[in-house]
Amino acid sequence: MDLLTSLKISSSGLTANKKRMAAISSNIANAQTTRTAEGGPYQPKEVVFGSEPAKENFSEILAGEMGENAQTVIAKEVSNSKKPPVLKYEPNHPDANAEGYVAYPNINTMEEMANMIEASRAYEANINAMNTAKSMAMKDLEIGKN
Amino acid sequence: MNIDDKTTKALAASLKYRQMRQELIASNIANAETPGYKAKKIDFEDALARALDTDEQQTLKTTDSKHFNVGGGGFNNLQPEIYEESNGIVSPDGNTVDRDQEMADMAENKIMYDASVQLLNKKLGLMKYVVGSDR
Repeated sequence: MDLLTSLKISSSGLTANKKRMAAISSNIANAQTTRTAEGGPYQPKEVVFGSEPAKENFSEILAGEMGENAQTVIAKEVSNSKKPPVLKYEPNHPDANAEGYVAYPNINTMEEMANMIEASRAYEANINAMNTAKSMAMKDLEIGKN
Repeated sequence: MNIDDKTTKALAASLKYRQMRQELIASNIANAETPGYKAKKIDFEDALARALDTDEQQTLKTTDSKHFNVGGGGFNNLQPEIYEESNGIVSPDGNTVDRDQEMADMAENKIMYDASVQLLNKKLGLMKYVVGSDR
């Protein structure tokens, strides 16, 4: 069923953007966190997107005539260690090192807010695609009903 | 009047490929921010018009058991074209999805899909009228 595949693809988009939103809110909430269970300051989280064919097995791909053209999106949460912590001179802070510097996570709140707006727009677009597929499927049920 | 005539077949093919288009658009929208993802499009209108023109006349005959049946202009052998769109919009990560364009295409596709369903219903209604008249 093609329309059900459409629904599956759109829902993968929703899940991916929800994951992204979770990572963003975690980053904003922990923008000043200097102490974590793993030790050291909070590591900013990033969500990376990848795509994979919507059809699960080979026979489905063959039957669908679409090959690997329709792709779902998969989101993976990774902690970004490429952003080094920012050192601030605060000798009286309990987490200050021997030289009096405190390591803060390198999080730009403005950047996170911009990402949040983008995630929310992407979420809306996926909802829209899902509603369209749904109403097309409902329209199918009207064939021959008159 | 045949229930399986040209109109019905063309409408059925149209519904099928519009569903496929919806699938591709959903895929493009979901992957609008996937690095390296290329937007995909499906073109079936030309193939459908050709099938309507040839009216299943131009079929290649198989005269030997070793011949492949390659079909011809029939509706069952429609070859829609699925291609990666290049409208010039490429983001730095190699993604070519234009989300606004996809939304517009989706709206159009939905309207045309509804129109096809409506036409199919009219066609069936006509038959019902013929069959069910008790006057």
